[in-house]
Amino acid sequence: MTLAVEKPGPGTATPPERPSGARRASAWARRAPLLPALVFMIVVTQLPFVATLVISFMDWNAYYPDEIGFAGFDNFQRVLTDVNMRDAVWTTILLTASVVIISLLLGLGIALLLDRSFRGRGAVRTMMIAPFLVVPVAAALLWKHALYNPEYGLFNGALTWLWGLFGADPPQPDWISSMPLSAIVASLVWQWTPFMMLILLAGLQSRPLDVIEAARIDGATSWQIFTNMTLPHLRQYLELGGLLGSIYVVQNFDAVFTITSGGLGTANLPYAVYQTFYNAHDYGRASAAAVVVVIGTIIIATFALRTVSSLFREESGR
Amino acid sequence: MATVSYNKATRIYAGQERPAVNELDLQIGDGEFLVLVGPSGCGKSTSLRMLAGLEDVDRGQILIDQRDVTHLPPKSRDIAMVFQNYALYPHMTVYENMAFALKLRKTSKAEIDRRVKEAAQLLQLDEYLSRKPKALSGGQRQRVAMGRAIVREPQVFLMDEPLSNLDAKLRVQTRSQIATLQAKLGITTVYVTHDQVEAMTMGHRVAVMLDGVLQQCDTPRALYDTPQNVFVAGFIGSPAMNIKTVPLSEQGASFAQMILPMQREQIAAASSGGGKVTIGFRPEATDLVGPHEGGLPIVVDLVEDLGSDANVYGHAALDGGSERFVVRTDRRGMPSMGETVFIKPQPNHVHAFHATNGNRI
Repeated sequence: MTLAVEKPGPGTATPPERPSGARRASAWARRAPLLPALVFMIVVTQLPFVATLVISFMDWNAYYPDEIGFAGFDNFQRVLTDVNMRDAVWTTILLTASVVIISLLLGLGIALLLDRSFRGRGAVRTMMIAPFLVVPVAAALLWKHALYNPEYGLFNGALTWLWGLFGADPPQPDWISSMPLSAIVASLVWQWTPFMMLILLAGLQSRPLDVIEAARIDGATSWQIFTNMTLPHLRQYLELGGLLGSIYVVQNFDAVFTITSGGLGTANLPYAVYQTFYNAHDYGRASAAAVVVVIGTIIIATFALRTVSSLFREESGR
Repeated sequence: MATVSYNKATRIYAGQERPAVNELDLQIGDGEFLVLVGPSGCGKSTSLRMLAGLEDVDRGQILIDQRDVTHLPPKSRDIAMVFQNYALYPHMTVYENMAFALKLRKTSKAEIDRRVKEAAQLLQLDEYLSRKPKALSGGQRQRVAMGRAIVREPQVFLMDEPLSNLDAKLRVQTRSQIATLQAKLGITTVYVTHDQVEAMTMGHRVAVMLDGVLQQCDTPRALYDTPQNVFVAGFIGSPAMNIKTVPLSEQGASFAQMILPMQREQIAAASSGGGKVTIGFRPEATDLVGPHEGGLPIVVDLVEDLGSDANVYGHAALDGGSERFVVRTDRRGMPSMGETVFIKPQPNHVHAFHATNGNRI
């Protein structure tokens, strides 16, 4: 400790320096236990992505093992110009937008209903969340077989019973083949509405009560309070729900794979990636498409993070 | 501008035995500044919210300008309210906050503009009109809340502890501003506070409540001079009145070695109190006397030097128990801690209350 009496310079608050060797050793003593976890995380999450990135610039098709080599932006060009891929992009947008918007609206409605006290509210709230907790594949299977099936599905069964009341011949539509994308949207909306409801309910319950009372005294009707007070307050929660929902639905694979297997124009980007990889064995092009999905997700996620941080700023600014 | 009447207005919360507000009878005159005061949970805020229409009235009636508003929604009562936390609309600018009620009433744009500008000038808010509440200080927010009430030009102003979130200096300043403003506008005002200094300085009349029951409603001076019961006596005045229950004798109350004389009717009224009477004397109506003048000796625990005068806190053994006393004295006679001083209430300023029911006699 030879430097202990040295006066620290102006503006520095650092403690007196120890010999650099000892300091490094103590720093590593702190870091070392974390290393296995870090290495594991890099191996599991980052290396595959780097590999995907590398492969996306390569000509690599399992059917043509002799032609493996560097391809430049060829794969990306093909992904963006291929009609199937462009359709997949469009399907993804359509699927994501409709699922997010419909589940937001439904979630808002349910949240408004649950935002008042009634007997058994806790039980109702828990049951409302249940669809979000079901494993996605299980949910998709449930919809495909238990609900949509034209022979024994619940929907057609309900139609049979309803029409039976009037002694008429019930229509028995094949839901999945007559409206494939809507069928997928419906099953995803069922899964995502609880999520939106939770976020919006949290927003509703953080609404300052005295502001609502002030508005009532100022002469606002319930509808005017909703449009002038509740909706502006919920704006950030709506954005948050929308963006988080978008991130997940953009990547959805389970529902598309299970319900339609990507047929009838329902193949979204993740499904197209899967097809290119496992059916066409074009690893280069599949990787390029995957990179495109990642870029799209990052763009949405950036907005999501911005919303989340603005929400926190608001809360702490109160 | 209007009168306000509570006619036996009662509020009972679901699942509670005791009413939050119990048969409140109160007549408030046109242009009057009435302050509701009491400790927390006494029902003062509930009473105000009943008048605002934010709280149901379970029994009785509330009239504004002779019109029964008991079951009308808040918007049909023509009132404006200032909340404790101001309740400004967070996503609207100051201008929009003030204009909101007028906009809902479909007032013309020019008229809204005129009234908002006028109120902003009155409250020195001109330069903040385009700001959001978040960008304002506590005092400015408070003024916006006032402005929002003023532009309405309502029949009655309701204020629910509007100063409790301000710092001490600003509170005193705003206190006088509100009183001046109310005098200028002449609008009937009901003001709720737990601070008796606010109540005494602002109100034309002050209504003291306890446990949902109105204790006394009178001018500040009358409350101070003739409190109707022990609670009001102890609540009004700072430091609080010295209140002790002592034996009753034929000439009056026997307090330590002293006999505090009471009138014959008072003694007769006090006689049902089990041979006891409750007396009260204010710190400022108590003298420090010499050791041989028959005063009660007390040991000084604390001296608060207020600059102009001083509060002396002390205790004395009385009837086998240790009792606390406060005396206000001028600075020259100021004792020091641990010293023993002798106190003597000024006999013509002693209040007497019934020992069991606490009413003034």
